[in-house]
Amino acid sequence: MAMISIRQLAVKKQDREICYLPDLRVAEGSRIALVGANGSGKSTLLRVIAGLECDFQGTCEVAANHRDRVYVHQTPYLFRGTVEDNLVYGGKVRGWSQQLLSERCHDWMERFKIQEFARSSALQLSGGERRRVALARAMILEPQLLLLDEPLADLDDQAMEWVAEACRQLADTTIVMASPLSPPDTMGFDELSMLSAREARAKESTAS
Amino acid sequence: MDLIWDGVREAVQLLIRGDAAVYDAAMRSLWISSLAVLLAAVTALPCGMLLGRCRFRGRRALLLLCRIGMSFPTVFVGLVCFALFSRRGPLGDLQWLYTPWVIVCGEFLLAFPIIASLSQGAIRSLDPRVGETAWTLGAGLGRRLMTYVSEARVGIMLAILTAFSRCITELGIAMMVGGNLSGRTRTLATATALETGQGDFGRGVAMSLILLVVAAIVTLMIITLSREDEDTEW
Repeated sequence: MAMISIRQLAVKKQDREICYLPDLRVAEGSRIALVGANGSGKSTLLRVIAGLECDFQGTCEVAANHRDRVYVHQTPYLFRGTVEDNLVYGGKVRGWSQQLLSERCHDWMERFKIQEFARSSALQLSGGERRRVALARAMILEPQLLLLDEPLADLDDQAMEWVAEACRQLADTTIVMASPLSPPDTMGFDELSMLSAREARAKESTAS
Repeated sequence: MDLIWDGVREAVQLLIRGDAAVYDAAMRSLWISSLAVLLAAVTALPCGMLLGRCRFRGRRALLLLCRIGMSFPTVFVGLVCFALFSRRGPLGDLQWLYTPWVIVCGEFLLAFPIIASLSQGAIRSLDPRVGETAWTLGAGLGRRLMTYVSEARVGIMLAILTAFSRCITELGIAMMVGGNLSGRTRTLATATALETGQGDFGRGVAMSLILLVVAAIVTLMIITLSREDEDTEW
């Protein structure tokens, strides 16, 4: 069963094609890393799949509904308030019980080693800490589809290992990440080379 | 210079003695302006949110009207209120003219466009990732709007304080539709004008000193909040 089915997807901004993908099928539970140079349209593709970018041509079908697909920005935004406030945001939206909220919160804070600054203001965190909080805030929801835009930026080797371990824990979640470089093998992601719209069009015309 | 110095000395004595007329006007000014700003905040905030985050027909016209309303002269608002609440006006049956309620209505009209415009600006200038992050974490429209308010709370507080500052110091509305009636509609601003006009300079200075202190406190709060907002920029 496909979680994501894309056909002839094209996104234009001010008459310039910024993303073109002839065909993509992502099976449920799979892990895909979209690897490509800057400007190849990785982020745009993730935003289309997330439902944040609606102005496109072609088809993009996603099996998970809105609440079951979570997208983490390339530069994540943390809400005002404490780290803990950010972590429980999605759970509160879903009406989780206090017990479930605190259990999941405790669990995911431990996985990303953010307990020590759980009560700190989210505005005072470093880039790496902010990214760990944003990843934990998304993963705590254990969605069917997780879309991560360059999740390893700002992270040291140890933090990367925490992210890899967290991804392994989400066994039922389909994860698609965008990255300019190949992710570490330990993360177990299948790589998909992302070409720029122009290169993809040229390749297609050569093949036909 | 002696005139001012004597006035300040007399004002301090009046304030220390707890002069009934001075404190009566001060308390009335505070509750009238507070109620007007509270009512304006409750109604103008949703308006600011809609203007800041939703696209609908007539949005630009409404926004323009709010912007123009920010600079309405108080005598103009007083005139409108007078036309509305005078015996032959559409709201004349309420018999609110020359009561504190009509001043509340006038100050509400003064505060509404300020809060709506400034909160719209605060919400509009939020990072686009705020809405996207809330949406992708599953928030519906209501929850997203609450998140916008929470993220723009410093700007919204500034809007409310600015409106309060304008209302408590206004003279035109209170004078035109309040009538400056002793013990009923006299506010700090109208009392200052009256006492000074009657030659009781000390009492006039006492009233304006209280007004000055309230305005200074509000301004300090605005400056502090502005600094906090600058410090927390991403």
